Amino acid sequence: MASSSTSVVVSNKEKENKNTKKVTLKSSDGESFEVDESVAMESQTIKHIIEDGCANNEIPLPNVTSGILSRVIEYCKKHKEAAGESEPSVTSYTSNSTTNPLTEWDTEFVKVDQNTLFDLILAANYLDIKGLLDLTCKTVADMMKGKTPQEIRETFHIKNDYTPEEEAEVRKENQWAFE
Amino acid sequence: MLSCKSLLSQTINKKRKKNKSKNKNKNSSTRFSKKHNLVSKKQNYEEEEEDCEEGFNFKTSAAPSHTHGVQPLGNLYINPGSINSRNTGLGNLQTLTDELVLDILGLLGGTHLGVLATVSKSFYVFTNHEPLWRNLVLENMNAGFLYNGSWKSTYVAACYPSFDVSSVDVSGLRVRDFYSDYLFQSWLCANLEMKPEWLQRDNIIRRKGISVEDFVLNFEEPNKPVLLEGCLDNWVALQNWDRDYLLQLCGDVQFAVGPVDMKLQEYFRYADQVMEERPLYLFDPKFAEKVPKLGSEYEVPVYFREDLFGVLGNERPDYRWIIMGPAGSGSSFHIDPNSTSAWNAVIRGSKKWILFPPDVVPPGVHPSPDGAEVACPVSIIEWFMNFYGATKNWEKKPIECICKAGEVIFVPNGWWHLVINLEESIAITQNFVSRDFFWTIASGIGSMQNLDHGVNNSKGTTLKMNVVDNIFC
Repeated sequence: MASSSTSVVVSNKEKENKNTKKVTLKSSDGESFEVDESVAMESQTIKHIIEDGCANNEIPLPNVTSGILSRVIEYCKKHKEAAGESEPSVTSYTSNSTTNPLTEWDTEFVKVDQNTLFDLILAANYLDIKGLLDLTCKTVADMMKGKTPQEIRETFHIKNDYTPEEEAEVRKENQWAFE
Repeated sequence: MLSCKSLLSQTINKKRKKNKSKNKNKNSSTRFSKKHNLVSKKQNYEEEEEDCEEGFNFKTSAAPSHTHGVQPLGNLYINPGSINSRNTGLGNLQTLTDELVLDILGLLGGTHLGVLATVSKSFYVFTNHEPLWRNLVLENMNAGFLYNGSWKSTYVAACYPSFDVSSVDVSGLRVRDFYSDYLFQSWLCANLEMKPEWLQRDNIIRRKGISVEDFVLNFEEPNKPVLLEGCLDNWVALQNWDRDYLLQLCGDVQFAVGPVDMKLQEYFRYADQVMEERPLYLFDPKFAEKVPKLGSEYEVPVYFREDLFGVLGNERPDYRWIIMGPAGSGSSFHIDPNSTSAWNAVIRGSKKWILFPPDVVPPGVHPSPDGAEVACPVSIIEWFMNFYGATKNWEKKPIECICKAGEVIFVPNGWWHLVINLEESIAITQNFVSRDFFWTIASGIGSMQNLDHGVNNSKGTTLKMNVVDNIFC
């Protein structure tokens, strides 16, 4: 369109400003992260803080370290982009790649050491980000499947605190699961 | 004959003096002060409490469900040098909360849980958490199930019939040094009796033999609750409806029980054995269609006969339910959908009611801004433990009563209500459209709230159009 009336220029500018409204999140170790408000609102916790008008300066997140927060932000950015601009992404996690185009990206995202994975679960829970919580919990659940008890112990550094008699009793109780 | 399992302490019917020392030496009671300072039932501490409340009693007529020795977290802090086997047995997972561990386990099938139980004592306790197995049963066996003492046993017996579940010791392994508030609280709520002071307040207006005009003028129009006595005297149901009769009449019939259907006899089997925080409730809107005789043995009390929903005929949404449940079953706080009023008649047993007027949100309840959804995250018994006390100091106190067999309660439209069965109970409830609401929707003012009644009623949103079409076409 060749028209370049003032009102069109003004409204485009307004739209830009609206789109790039930012918010600052502060991790427990004092690092600040500036993110688009729409990305931050993937977290229901942050969304409520903003809506309640309590997000004037920085939003402190005393339960989340910078290392974890940067990953969480990465997740939110990626999922927000994929979902489109206007609404927060409401798709819950699914491993079916025909319905979730981010399956491969998600799979790579959770290839981290266990401590990081559990910290991501705790952060997703605290920040109330359903997709991330579903993804990380399912990852841990999958790590438990198809393993012998000893393999599970090795995977998660679990001490076997059964006496031999107790272990035999519990095994007998659950013998059906081993057949 | 109904099962005698009851939430009523044996002393509830006597006039009790407030005498703390009576319960001091009772071995089965637990002293309760603050949530994070629950004391194991083996220890009888003398705690100074704000209200000088007596300890909790456990349900008397059935054995408590098994806790495997889980203790509340407070006990860890008073046992110096103790290690929490919860943590050592979870390994790297110990940083997660109990709820998160259970969320992860909730993604697993029965076989995985069975294998995990043998990993460590901590996993044993977690994987034996009954709600996990209840979900597996309800998701996989919606054509009915034979309850077998516990949800885990029910699942294993059904899915692994060659395994002899009776060879498993019912109480299982007892685990020492496992401390968890979440798991302890869950067990506590499954086994508690109602405290006498939760049942004391009875401030509802009671009427007997009033005229319909009196009812409409003093209760229906001003939208006030009332408990009506003596209007079920001619119900055949009052004489006939006990366990034996119902089993003979329709023991084989499938009734709606929460998310599944069950034969009545299977439901009674479950109700007799179960000990849980949120027992399944038989709540069926098609009982009269399934068993016409049931429909013929009751009639709508005279006060509620002008029911303008009647004009809808077959298009009328679910409007009447038979309700059966063991002690502890019930509905947590909600408002009935479609702005309807309701009446609830107890045929057997007794129900504790708490009602708040439309403009007073009960403590612990969080409606969404448009009122379409209600979040009440705690179970009924936990609501009593944590929130009931708050209402003592409120100016606008709730309306409360115990509704017994032969009595009917009128629940006006828009009122919040919570109901808990104090013993096994059978009741009939109907929604109805009082004339007030009719004029409201006819003049286009009323809004259709589609609130969750605790059972699925998805026809609400088309209701408004149907009523208007039927009356004005």
